[in-house]
Amino acid sequence: MAEKNENVNRRQLLKKSCFGGCLVGLGGLAGFLSGRSRAGDTLWQIDPYKCIACGNCETHCVLENSAVKCVQVYELCGYCDYCPGFHEPTALALDTGAENELCPTGAIKRKFVSEPYFQYDIDEALCIACGKCVKGCAAFGNGSLFLQVRHDRCLNCNECSIAAACPSGAFTRVPSDKPYLLKKVDNA
Amino acid sequence: MMASDNNESGSGKGLGPWFGSAIATALVGAVFSIVILTLIVANYVQGRIRETGFEKRLENMKIEITKDSVDKETLADEIRLFDLEFRESRLPRADFTRTGGYLLLGALAVFVLGVKWADIIRKKVQVPQPMQAGAGEQVRQAALARWSVAGALIVAGIVVVFLLVVPDVDFSTEDKVDDSYPTWAEISRNWHRFRGPQGAGIITDPNIPDDWEGKTGKGILWKTPVPVVGDNSPVVWGDRVFLSGGDPNVYKVFCFDALGGTLLWTGDVERTKPKPGEDEFEVMEDTGYAACTMATDGRRVYVIFTTGDVACFDFKGRKLWTKPLGLPDNVYGYASSLETYRNMLLIQFDQADAESEISKLIALDGPTGRIVWEAKRPVGNSWSTPILAQTETGSQIIAAADPWVIAYEPNSGDEIWRAECLAGDIASSPIYANGMTFVIEPYSKIAAIKTDGKGDVTKTHIAWSVDEPGPDICSPIGNDKFVFILNSDGLALCFDAADGKTLWEEDIRADFLASPSLVNGKLYLLTEKGVMIIAEPMPKYRELTRCELGEKCHASPAFVNGRIYIRGADNLYCIGKETSDRP
Amino acid sequence: MRRLFYILIATAVLSALCVSASAEMRFPPPEFEGDYVMPTTTTPHPHPDIYEYVDVAVLAAALSLASYLTLKLRSRRAIFVLMMLSLIYFGYWRKGCVCPIGAIQNIILSIFDSTYTVPITVSLFFLLPLVFTLFFGRVFCAAVCPLGAIQDMVLVRPVSVPYWLAAGLRLLAYLYLTLAVLFAATGSAFLICRYDPFVAFFRLSGNVNMLIIGLCFLLVGLFVGRPYCRFFCPYGVILRQLSRLSKWRVTITPDECIQCRLCEEACPFGAIRRPAVEWPAVEYAKARRRIAFLILLIPVLIALCGWGGSLLKNVTSRMHPTVRLAERIYLEEAGEVEGVTDPSTAFRATGRTIEDLYDEASVIREKFVTAGWVLGGFMGLVIGLKLGAVSVWRKRTDYEADRAGCIACGRCFKYCPREHVRLEKNKQEIS
Repeated sequence: MAEKNENVNRRQLLKKSCFGGCLVGLGGLAGFLSGRSRAGDTLWQIDPYKCIACGNCETHCVLENSAVKCVQVYELCGYCDYCPGFHEPTALALDTGAENELCPTGAIKRKFVSEPYFQYDIDEALCIACGKCVKGCAAFGNGSLFLQVRHDRCLNCNECSIAAACPSGAFTRVPSDKPYLLKKVDNA
Repeated sequence: MMASDNNESGSGKGLGPWFGSAIATALVGAVFSIVILTLIVANYVQGRIRETGFEKRLENMKIEITKDSVDKETLADEIRLFDLEFRESRLPRADFTRTGGYLLLGALAVFVLGVKWADIIRKKVQVPQPMQAGAGEQVRQAALARWSVAGALIVAGIVVVFLLVVPDVDFSTEDKVDDSYPTWAEISRNWHRFRGPQGAGIITDPNIPDDWEGKTGKGILWKTPVPVVGDNSPVVWGDRVFLSGGDPNVYKVFCFDALGGTLLWTGDVERTKPKPGEDEFEVMEDTGYAACTMATDGRRVYVIFTTGDVACFDFKGRKLWTKPLGLPDNVYGYASSLETYRNMLLIQFDQADAESEISKLIALDGPTGRIVWEAKRPVGNSWSTPILAQTETGSQIIAAADPWVIAYEPNSGDEIWRAECLAGDIASSPIYANGMTFVIEPYSKIAAIKTDGKGDVTKTHIAWSVDEPGPDICSPIGNDKFVFILNSDGLALCFDAADGKTLWEEDIRADFLASPSLVNGKLYLLTEKGVMIIAEPMPKYRELTRCELGEKCHASPAFVNGRIYIRGADNLYCIGKETSDRP
Repeated sequence: MRRLFYILIATAVLSALCVSASAEMRFPPPEFEGDYVMPTTTTPHPHPDIYEYVDVAVLAAALSLASYLTLKLRSRRAIFVLMMLSLIYFGYWRKGCVCPIGAIQNIILSIFDSTYTVPITVSLFFLLPLVFTLFFGRVFCAAVCPLGAIQDMVLVRPVSVPYWLAAGLRLLAYLYLTLAVLFAATGSAFLICRYDPFVAFFRLSGNVNMLIIGLCFLLVGLFVGRPYCRFFCPYGVILRQLSRLSKWRVTITPDECIQCRLCEEACPFGAIRRPAVEWPAVEYAKARRRIAFLILLIPVLIALCGWGGSLLKNVTSRMHPTVRLAERIYLEEAGEVEGVTDPSTAFRATGRTIEDLYDEASVIREKFVTAGWVLGGFMGLVIGLKLGAVSVWRKRTDYEADRAGCIACGRCFKYCPREHVRLEKNKQEIS
């Protein structure tokens, strides 16, 4: 009986030391993490200079309606009459006819400003992030149209499905206080 | 789902009215959710098919309209209508999916709640089964569990094997870090450093040619221009010939194919920029930026330039590391060549004067470039190259400078012996033969030191020392019988190796920068004008033949495998017999 | 073909844009006269960080409450309600991310990638359940984890999984954890998130394949209690081990067991251990020899599995985008595949040299060798210990909850007659 008690005691001791070890381990991990932690959250964003507008943003988002949308930086826009992001390269006329428009959902609105300048706005509700306009604008225009994750829509998944499918590594985690990577004028 | 429902109702007779309603709830939930699920799936699939079709058609129409043969206006109208239809179908579908999702969720919740409810009503405490035989059952369970775990292991093993069968793409250009080193036999088959194995300049190979002419191309296997100048000698390993070149702007390493002479690759080395406030370093013209001969251990090739920039490349031309040692304080420009020991690179980095105590011998790890050891040297600047002598008492690194000749243990860098016997600007490298090392003090002295000493051997181990005009550039040649020295102005002297007695003296009447070599017992002396004088050294100097290259030569030639590699002012020459096509 | 042509043009121009940051603007923006006001690009803000902290607070509160409900109040009904609330909050309101299970990967990545910083809320999401488990047992699994909750909800007619089968299947969870650590540490992928079977249900949208897999899990879950938790959950693996050491834990009844055997069938998760007798004398010597053999086998298994893990580098490293890209480029360059892919086009547009890419990919592959050894060795250790663990037991006279396997759901409470007596007594004392 005495031997058994001793056994039990030994087991208890072992267990207690393991418990202590785990506590210390967790404490150590917490200490380590406090050194590697940031107060704010991180969010997903697209580096427009890396993006190749492949179209994965449209199809890979876990949301039915992708959280990525096209944005327009007006400072960069040339306000062209022929907008390579708006018009088909083979457009017959520079108007808003469906046969001349590049956008499959008609999400870009063309507005006359003054001869010969037009303003182009994105209707986010319609934009599906297919990137067709981005490609056109980058190839033949100023590149003022590009894709960005819209944080009012994004669920901020721990692993972004689009990031996993991004061919050019354009998706990066950004701090939540600087949630957008917009193109700058002097950098264009 | 339905199956479980049926089970519930089947076994649930006589459990009261609430049970019935619970089952009914579950059934309603199940039916509703199945209906919604079907609708969602149908809508999704239909939408997908429709939209893909639409998209294709729209795209085709847009291509169509660019053609001249079609009625553009009609087609444009058609596109507009079609586009509208497309957009109108798209948005409601997404909405439907979303609403459907929530409805489905609700219906499923109803179903689960119903089932749970029914389960709670139906559940009664079960009468325990008769206890199974205690110990036997336990043992059986344990055995089963063991087999199950072992089975999992086997399955994992099979999966691993299966995965390994999948062909893999081996793009790795990187060889693993190779810390092997050449055997002595390997080294003696090659010309891995300035003046070959042990820096002796001696080779026995009956295939080495003794007849060629640059003008007619006779005996010259190939000739390839070297893009950047340099006075360093070629080093050869296997089928590769390495050279370096440098001017104030670029430092380059060149690798040639020994067989055909094509330039295989060029490596760039960054020149250390002068620190702010420091003057741009300019080297003396005679020395140039690439006077130091490279060295190789058969795995990697090493280079140093006159500004102390060391670099290492692999045989494919990839730069493995660089190590700027700092600008050496050297009056004519740093010019000591490199030596290797096993997989270490040895650098005699002598600077300034003995008092400033900044001279050192450095051993770098070949694969990484890290410093393995450093030995401080109590000497001033020198231009001499250390040798790795294979003495009777083991390998020694022997380095000569003003005023000490010092031997080091190559693994640790510990000093073995030192002898104080030189003064002035030491440019000739020491040589080792038959238990002695021979060193030269320019214009005044030749000395022989026995290498079996320990500590300061100035008084005990200097076998002989004669005051004769020694060369200021060329290194000597020696074996167990004689020591031969060659002054830049062509004055050649030969001493008895045992006692230093002058055997003969000869004025060859030519200028020399390249060091002499001893091939099959014959002296090969390359003049500054590019004439190779082949002569018999014993018993008396007797010129046998002269071969003219027709290009100025500053660098000592390399003799490997029946071929001679000579670096002229602008070209690299390979001289050999046509038949000897092996590299 | 036309499309390809445009793609080529676009990438060519893009590469020009990427390479030279000083490329000029092709169409300088006009200077408008008059009262034209240039619109600004909208940047809708993410929800404020404070919400993350609220989530942590809710998590801590839910864990505390769960501990109270399982250890003190001992009410299955209350636990169930809390579980439902957690499912609604963490699953449907918060849309599942970040969860403690997935947070494993953020923590691992932060250890191996010094440039990656974890948001403090993610660290807390990872650590809080561990700490609670160390003190109170697996209360997180019981009533807080939305993935557990959704499976617990659908459990209708539990069948018991045989002990031996469960022992084998549980290795899957260790394997899953190992792979998740491998891919997180090498910065390849967040495996746990990618193959999360239930998050699509919380978001009501997602990858169709994952929806189908999730549905399969739920269908199996009708009959097998919490299949994901028991046989796959990588976080569960850690919680199991911590729960073994927990200071307080769930008991079938705090009173003495009277061996009535009524609770035998109560647990749908196979976590109630029956009484065990001592080894029969005839078997004892054999069993001792076997244990000695199994202990000696452990180092062999570690070496073997480590070797296996390292051999797989070319397969496992394919999970890393850079290695995948390097392989693709290699095949394209060698002419073994036709055409180009988006990633190879994007790579060529960057102007980086192919050798550079190969070198980077080779370095990553080497990491997989080291990781393969370590993690394969870990799997070997797990298998070795498992073999030993199923072969030894101590004599037990009572029915008790298995420390590791018990997820503190509280189903067994009401099966125990002693518990009914105790509750009655409590009630009387109060009144």
